[in-house]
Formats: sequence, structure tokens, C-alpha cells
Amino acid sequence: MSPTSPDGSEDVRSKLTELQQNPDMMTHARIELRDAEAAVKLAEQPLASDEAVLAEHRLYMADRMVEIARAKGEARLMEADRERLGEERDAARLAARTREADQAHADAQRARSSQAAAAEMSAREAEELQRQIAMLEAEATERGLVLTLGDVLFATGSADIQGGTNQNLEKLVNFLNQYPDRQVLIEGHTDNVGSAMFNQNLSRQRAESVRRFLTERGIENRRLSVSGYGFERPIASNDSATGRQQNRRVEVVIENRE
Amino acid sequence: MKIYTARRVAGHASRLITLLFVTLTLAACAAAPVPPTDELTAASDAIANAEQAEARRYAGAELEEANRQLEAANKAAASEKMVEAERLARQARVAAELAIARTEAAKASAINREMGRGAEALDEEMRRQGDQQ
Repeated sequence: MSPTSPDGSEDVRSKLTELQQNPDMMTHARIELRDAEAAVKLAEQPLASDEAVLAEHRLYMADRMVEIARAKGEARLMEADRERLGEERDAARLAARTREADQAHADAQRARSSQAAAAEMSAREAEELQRQIAMLEAEATERGLVLTLGDVLFATGSADIQGGTNQNLEKLVNFLNQYPDRQVLIEGHTDNVGSAMFNQNLSRQRAESVRRFLTERGIENRRLSVSGYGFERPIASNDSATGRQQNRRVEVVIENRE
Repeated sequence: MKIYTARRVAGHASRLITLLFVTLTLAACAAAPVPPTDELTAASDAIANAEQAEARRYAGAELEEANRQLEAANKAAASEKMVEAERLARQARVAAELAIARTEAAKASAINREMGRGAEALDEEMRRQGDQQ
């Protein structure tokens, strides 16, 4: 009879020792480790050489019991972890909700402030437009802003713009530069002195003169359309000199946007 | 007298034979190996529990091992090797219990992975939202 432990029992013992040194395993598989300890002790008992089968049986049992202790310990450890994971997930979810809410709040605030800014901007723009229109001394009508360039712009019978008297035209250039998306109609009108054909031509030529002036000052030609109405559309009576002077005019119609 | 004697001898012998038979039968009964019924039952129960716990899916090798051990135990019992049968039945049971334990561990691990993924997905979501800002 040999006094030494059967072969293989050291392996089982070392597996068990490893588990016993793990605090998680000792916490979560205390009973299983105790049972395994008893099984390993039994497997370590020296046996007669003709008891090899019994030795093998004891080793088998000890080995499986150590593995059972390990698996149960791991399962319980994971169950314990689950609580922590659940808490983590709740925390993550809460953080996500908080962030969502914060973002929604921020978005709303941003939208509000940009709306306010847009409103303020358009109010300022409208105000500026009014100021410009006032400066232009134009009249707001259904057709748009109508700027009347008076007779003084042209010499009698001439289509050429007289120098030094075009302050209104300068203002018009400024205005058109400031509002580059507006189309412009330039309409020439005359009094009833002379033939209709002559007046029609003259009115058109005067309107063309204004167009030329504007394009020379950098206004795009395609924004400008020209017509001559002759004496078809008087705004005053042609019986008096004052009335005729009022009728000799070029109207610049700045079309309303939209 | 002779007949009587002969009858008596015959009767005596018959009683003796009967007694001998009974004794032999009893002796045979006493020495007859008893199968390890408790251990075998415990092993089959443990295997049934393992199957109930879906061990086939999570710890198939261990369940297979338990079945092999139980089969060997039954075979040993059938050939009246009762000591061997008992040991094999114990081994079948412990193998089935290991199958159960590993099944539970595998299930717990799968659940935790799932939960971890959920938390990660939320973290990821949050990170993306953060990036957008």
C-alpha cells in the first residue's frame, strides 16, 4: 500500500485552491466549494494499487464538483453584476433623457431667438426700406414705387438729361443698388404739344435716356424695361403751362417684390 | 416395517432436500447483487433536470457525458457489476449537475451581454447626440 495520494489528485487540488483564493468565488459558491473540498480530500486518500478504479472514480467526482462550484460561482457573480448593469443602464437612460430634454429646450430657445431675430431683422429692413423710399420721394402704389422725374431733367424737345439736376437719379441708383432683386419700368410721358408720333418718340427717347443713365451707373440692363406713352397718360391738364410741365415727365416704377 | 422404514427414509430425505433447497435459495438471495436503484434514479432525475434547463443547448458536451455515464451504469447493473454500476451512476449524476451549472452560467452570461449591449447602445446614442450639438 502506497501512502501517497493517487495520481491526478494534485491537479484537482490546485484547481480547487485557485477557486478558494478567489474572493468572488468564496462569496458566491461557498457551499459548493465546501462540498468540493470534501470530494478532493477523499480523492487524495491513499489507496492500494489494486484500487485504481476507485481512485479514478473519486477523482472524477472531485473534478466535477470543483467545476460545479466554479460554474455556480460564475453564474451567481453574473447575477450580482446584473444589478450593477441594470443600474448603469438606468443611469445611461436617464442621462440620455436629460440630454434629450436639454436639447429640446435649447432647440426651442434657439428657434424662439432666431424667430425673434428674423422678426427684428425684417422690421429693421422694412424700416430701412421706408426710409429709402422717403428719401427717394417715391410714391407707393399698387404697381410699386413710382418715382416721378420731372420736366426739369430735360431741355424742351430734347431727350438728353441735363447735367447737375439728377440728384433724384442718384438716389434711384442708390436705391436700386440696395435692392438688387427689383425690376424697374421706365415710362416716358409728354404734354400734347406737337404730333402724337413726335411725342411718342420723344417720350420713349427720354425713357431710354434714363435707362442709359442707370446702366452707365452699374444697374443691370435686364432689370430695366422702357416704354414711351407720348401724351396718352396726362396727370394734369394740358391747358395751362403748369399742367403741361407736370405732364412732361419720366416715371420710374420700381416693382414690388413678390 | 420395511416398507414403513423405507417410507420414513424417503420422507426424511424429501424434507432434507426441501430444506437444502430453501437454504440454498435463501443463500443465493442473500448473495445476489442488488442493483443501485437509488443512485440510478438520482442520475436519471439529474439528467432530466439538465434537459429541462436546456443543457442540450448550453452545455451539450456535459449532458452527453452524463448520458454516457448513465448508460454505462445501466449496462454494469445488467451484468450484475453492482459496485461499478453504483459508481457510474454517481458519476452520471455529478456530470448532469455540472451540465446544469454550466447551463445556468451560460444563460447568465448571455443576459449580461445583452444588458451590456443595451447600455452601450444608449451610450452610443448619447455620444451621437452630443456630436450633433
